[in-house]
Amino acid sequence: MTTQAKEPWAATRLPYLGALCATFCQKTRAPGASYFEVLPFLISITAAFLTLSGIVLAVYYNPWHAFDSVQFIDRNVNNGWLIHAYHATGTTMIFGLTYIYLFRAILTRSYRAPGEWVWMLSVKLLAVLLLTGWLGYVLTGGAAGYWSLFNASNVALSLGGLPGAVGVWFFGGPAGGGTLARLEVFHVFLAASLLLVVWLIHASRKTIAAPAPARAVAFYPYYLAQYFAALAVFAFIFVVLAFYAPHLGTSHFNRIPAESLAVPVGAGVPWYLAPAAGLIGAFSSTGLSIFAVIAAAAVLYALPWLDRSGANGAKGKLYGFFIWVLALDVLALGLTVHGGCPYAATLAGVFTAWFFFHFLVITPLVTAMEAE
Amino acid sequence: MRRFLAPVLALSLLAGGAARAEDTLSPLQFQSQGPLGTIDKAAAQRGYQVFESVCAGCHAANQVHYRDLEALGLTPDQAAGEAAAAGGTLDSPIKGAAPMDMGGAAPPDLSSIVAERHGTKYIYDFLTGFAPAPGGVTLLPGHAYNTAFPGGQTAMPPALHDGAVTYADGTKASAQQQAADVAEFLTWTADPNLDARHQIGFRAIIFFGFLMIIAIASKRKVWRASV
Repeated sequence: MTTQAKEPWAATRLPYLGALCATFCQKTRAPGASYFEVLPFLISITAAFLTLSGIVLAVYYNPWHAFDSVQFIDRNVNNGWLIHAYHATGTTMIFGLTYIYLFRAILTRSYRAPGEWVWMLSVKLLAVLLLTGWLGYVLTGGAAGYWSLFNASNVALSLGGLPGAVGVWFFGGPAGGGTLARLEVFHVFLAASLLLVVWLIHASRKTIAAPAPARAVAFYPYYLAQYFAALAVFAFIFVVLAFYAPHLGTSHFNRIPAESLAVPVGAGVPWYLAPAAGLIGAFSSTGLSIFAVIAAAAVLYALPWLDRSGANGAKGKLYGFFIWVLALDVLALGLTVHGGCPYAATLAGVFTAWFFFHFLVITPLVTAMEAE
Repeated sequence: MRRFLAPVLALSLLAGGAARAEDTLSPLQFQSQGPLGTIDKAAAQRGYQVFESVCAGCHAANQVHYRDLEALGLTPDQAAGEAAAAGGTLDSPIKGAAPMDMGGAAPPDLSSIVAERHGTKYIYDFLTGFAPAPGGVTLLPGHAYNTAFPGGQTAMPPALHDGAVTYADGTKASAQQQAADVAEFLTWTADPNLDARHQIGFRAIIFFGFLMIIAIASKRKVWRASV
C-alpha cells in the first residue's frame, strides 16, 4: 500500500524507479511456483560470485609460474586460500545448478514452444561453462590440467585448414607459459560472456512468461521470501563444501606441479567435465571425438524439434521414464572416466550410443506416440 | 652443518612449554583428521624435528618457509634459529640437501605430498610399510619393498629407525611414532590453513543453518498470509 502511494512520486522524478517498483510490486506472477524456478537466479548469483573471486585470484595469478602462483595464493596471500576455496566451490555449485536446471527443463519439457529460445540459450550456457571450467582447471598448472592441455593443444595443432588455424591462434603452441597466458585471457572473456548468456536467459524467460492469472501475486513479498529461502539453503550447502571439501571432485593429480616428463596414471578431470570427457574418450579417433562433441551439442539444440508432441501435447509417463534413464546414462558416462575399469572405453561407447539413440530415436517416436 | 645442529635446536623447542609425552599410536590417531580436526602442534613440532634430521637429507619442502613455523607454536627467535641452522633466514624456503638420484627417481618435494598422494594415513602407512620382499617378488635395483606404495616397490629406502631422534617432550621416539609425527607435520605443510578453515567453517555452518531455518519459516509465513 505504501509503495503504491510512493510510486507516482518516484516515477515522476526517476522513471527507472517506477519501472523497478512495477517489476517487484505488480501482481503478475502465478502463486505456488516451484523452488526450482529459482535456479536461473542462483546461477546468476554464483556467476557473479565466481567473477568477484576470480578477479581477486587473477590479481595474484601468474601464468608463467602457474602452479607456484596458486601455491602462493593458498599459502602467502591473506585469506587467499579462502578466495581459492570460494572459486573452486563456486565452480562446483554453478555446474551442479546448471546440470539440474537443464535436466529439469528436459523433464518438464519447458523447451517446447515458446521456450525454444530459452532452451537453446541454456545449452549455450552449459557449453560456455564447460569451456570456461576446462580452462580454469588447466590454469591451475597442476599435472592433470597440464596433460589435458597437452592433449588438447596437440590435437588442435594437428588439425588442418581453418580449424587448425583457429587452434594455433587459440593455444599459441603446445602447453607452456605463453599458452597459459592466452588461456587466462580466454577464461576471463568466456566468464564475461557467461554473464551475458545468463542475462539473456533471464530476459527471454521474462518475454515468454505466461500472462498474469486471475489470482496473481506480486514478487514482493511473496517470491522475494521464496528466493531468499532458496538462497539461504544454497549458501548453507556452499559453506559446507567451501570449508570442508573445497576441492570436491577434483583429482589429486592436480595438486602435483606439472612435469613435462611425468604423465600421471589415469584421468584427472574434475567431476563437472566428466560426462564431456567420457564422450570424448568413447572414440579412439580424434576426428570422431570432435564430431561427437559437436553432434551432442547439436542434438541438445534440436531437442525442441525432436520432441514431436507439439506445444500442448500430453506429457506421457513413458517418455518421463526415458528422461530419467538419460540422466543415469550421462552420470554413467562421467563415471567411465574415473574407474580403473578395463572395459571403460567400451562402456563409454555404449553410453554415448544410448545418448544419441535417446535424442534421435526415442524422443521423436515416444513423444509422437504419447501425444496421440 | 644443519644435519648436526637441527636435532640440538629441535631439542630446545619444546623445553619451554608445558610439554608432555604423547602417544598417538594406540590407537593410531591424527588430530587433524575429521571435520573438526585441528593440527596437533606438539606432534607437528616433533614431525618437523624428524623432517629436519631425517627427511631433509633428501627431500625439500620449498613451499614452506621458516617463518611459517611460528604457526606451529615456535617463537620468532626459535624459527630464526632453525633458519640459521640451515644456513638461511626466516624467509628462506625449507630446502633439502642437493637433489640426488635414487635409482632413477628424484626425491619429491614434500610441501603438498599429503594432498598429492592419498592423505595423512597413507603417509604413515608408507613410512611404516617397509618390509622384506615376499617370495616371488623381484626388486628393481636400488628399490625397497613397501606394502603401502602402489606397485610395492619404491626407490626410497626405509628411513626411520627407533630412537633416531630424541624428543624433548619425552615422547618415545619409536619409528612408528616418528612416522605418525611426520605425517601430522606434512598434513600441516600441505594445508597450513586447516585449523582456520575448520573453525570458520563451523561458525559459518551454524550461521547459515539458522539463516536457512529463519528464511524458510518466513517464506511459509508470508505465503500463508496470501491465501
